[in-house]
Amino acid sequence: MRRVNKSAFGITALVIVIFTVLSFVGISTQYGDIKKVYIKGVEDIRWGIDIRGGVDVTFTPPEGVKATNEQMDSVKEVIVQRLVGLNITDHEVYVDYNKDRLIVRFPWKAGDESFDPEAAVNEIGETAMLTFRESYMTDPETGLWTGVTEENIILEGSDVENAQPGYDEQQGEFIVQLRLTEDGREKFSEATKRLAVTKDSISIWMDKSMISNATVQTHISEGSAVISGNFTAESAKALADKINAGALPFELVTANFSTISPTLGLGARDAMALSGAVAFIVIAIFMTYNYRLPGVVAIIALMGQVAGSIAAITGFFGFLDSFTLTIPGIAGIVMAVGMGVDANILTAERIREELYRGKTLNGAIESGFKRGFTAIFDGNLTIIFVAIILMGAFGPPDSLFAKLLSPVFFMFGPSTAGAIYSFGYTLLVGVVFNFVMGVTCSRIMVMALSKTKTFSNKWLYGGENNA
Amino acid sequence: MHKFEKLDVIKLRKYTFPITIAFIVLVALISLIFGVEVDIEFKGGTLISYSYTGDMDVNSFQSKAEEIIGTGVSITIGESISENAANNINLSVNSNAGLTAERQFDLTKKLQESFASNDITLLSSNDVPPSAGREFFLKCLVAVAFSAVVLTVYIAFRFKRIGGWSAGVTSVIALLHDAIMVYATFVIFRIPINANFIAAALTILGYSINDTIVTYDRVRENRKIYGKKLNLEELMNVSVRQTLTRSINTSVTTIAAMAVICIVALIFDVKSILSFAFPLIVGMVAGVYSSVFLAGPLWVLWNDRSKKGTKKKSKSSAVKA
Repeated sequence: MRRVNKSAFGITALVIVIFTVLSFVGISTQYGDIKKVYIKGVEDIRWGIDIRGGVDVTFTPPEGVKATNEQMDSVKEVIVQRLVGLNITDHEVYVDYNKDRLIVRFPWKAGDESFDPEAAVNEIGETAMLTFRESYMTDPETGLWTGVTEENIILEGSDVENAQPGYDEQQGEFIVQLRLTEDGREKFSEATKRLAVTKDSISIWMDKSMISNATVQTHISEGSAVISGNFTAESAKALADKINAGALPFELVTANFSTISPTLGLGARDAMALSGAVAFIVIAIFMTYNYRLPGVVAIIALMGQVAGSIAAITGFFGFLDSFTLTIPGIAGIVMAVGMGVDANILTAERIREELYRGKTLNGAIESGFKRGFTAIFDGNLTIIFVAIILMGAFGPPDSLFAKLLSPVFFMFGPSTAGAIYSFGYTLLVGVVFNFVMGVTCSRIMVMALSKTKTFSNKWLYGGENNA
Repeated sequence: MHKFEKLDVIKLRKYTFPITIAFIVLVALISLIFGVEVDIEFKGGTLISYSYTGDMDVNSFQSKAEEIIGTGVSITIGESISENAANNINLSVNSNAGLTAERQFDLTKKLQESFASNDITLLSSNDVPPSAGREFFLKCLVAVAFSAVVLTVYIAFRFKRIGGWSAGVTSVIALLHDAIMVYATFVIFRIPINANFIAAALTILGYSINDTIVTYDRVRENRKIYGKKLNLEELMNVSVRQTLTRSINTSVTTIAAMAVICIVALIFDVKSILSFAFPLIVGMVAGVYSSVFLAGPLWVLWNDRSKKGTKKKSKSSAVKA
């Protein structure tokens, strides 16, 4: 076993304390309104929608419609663009090709009191199928297209390269200007040439509602078109945005829609934070009372372990992205702390036992850590297995663990329970840090302390007083 | 130093096995007679929570909601503990069709108009189609079953020296017992089975297997030390006595921490945390019990049976643990 120097305690404890402070507080500078974050702290944690509130919605094509993978990809593209268009940049979008589902999650926008999640979902899922149709023939009862208007679609959304809101100064009204693709230009040119003769009209539809109907005056061949019709500045821009976001290949139906308000979730977060702090104090009292010096060392190691979990969530380490923390995620940290407590107890019990067998302090500590380790190793490794299975089963479909476990879960689509994924992640990093802190750092600290005169009394390690 | 010198978990199986089986039968009866409440996450349906202020006429709220949706709804009221906070009213629909986002939107708007004086605001909503709920539940079950298989194989491999498969299978039996206890907590306290149940069951799965591993680890070590000097019963008893202090201390510490979380959750009325932390406490207690009183004796029974007749007479007096 490696020799441990007396000074190792101070160094290890200091490193853990600095690491803890850094991972909680982070480092950032503030010049006026501009905050630059160098190391992310607790404040920068991305909370899950079960905590800060938000929307979790699944879109599918209507029953009976089977979408191709390409179509699902294009739906995803469209939805992402619409989310960005709504200024919802912090979103997650997953595609399930097997079940033709699209899972969209986004949090409440910070500081936006009037944010309406339902309206946002409606807007995101809107079909926005743009069509240019010949003439304007409608069924008087339903208002829907009939006859030649139903049959002859001149242009579709995909024929439009770009749409822009504009202002027609001659008419004094807001318009939407379209630039057509090469394909669209030809089709539009052909139609306008033909219709200009009969002075027939072209009607423009968004889904099943007519937004504009204009008589064709001349042959238009230069590849641009104008939509006019009672627009305001806002509605013209909104229509242009919708056209730009592209048309969906099919209608979207919402399934699995859930929202949670931030007031509900933040209460849970604060309660969790408070209970976490109190629980840590309770653990500290127990450990010190039961195991004396190794108990105190365990508290330092546990602190480091919690800090490690926090750091893995905030993105403290360069190689780990920040991770969304949900309520089950917090539970994962708690469980990993429980495993940390157990690792320290297992070792402390062993040291005590070896002391009772009459070993020297040094010998007892060495064999205590050595013999305790096999149980800690097996126990924690099984937890790592469980954590990996959870991450594979309930994580995003493109993650490593999900691919690894796809033979087991092939018949299921990606889950909507991202919360359990978060549990698996915090459990995994927590247990990994348990090996670093609860095993390695605890050992270094206890061994270093036992070398000093002040802390060489066996009583401090659970043995009989030999002072 | 051992406080448990008299403890003989193998003899105690006369009592522990029947008690355990009786309890499991009782839980099964309770779930059959009273039914199991399943959250809409698994069975599908819609649950919407609103907050409101002032007095609310629940009956007219219900009939108004039914009128808007067109199907029956059930209403529950959550009174807030603190005075200033608004109260909650929960509306659940067991409809197979569910309420799409548009219909929820419409419902909220109309309810707000009808009960303008109550200042109704949407707290949370959850709509799950039954097929998605069933699929999620099935996926959870597969995840748990797959974990159990992986754990059995791993333990069988790591504990080759003490019977391999017997160690693996008995620790998974102990684990099933603990999962049943977590389930019992949900059934007895009428907590709807939801994703928290899965998270709690999985956590207990980890803790339970850990408890059993700690005991088996000691058996493995003692087998190395004592060889054939101890028969299986003594080997297990000695190992259990040696690890029991650790098991109790670990559980007391973690349970105390969980209890703190429970109390805070109660005070702040955060049900999502309470329905997770409380079953965990029950599961942890069950975990210690099952690893000591179920897995250990079962392991002895299994291995005794497989080498019947070679059993030696007790030599326990020669060994002081």
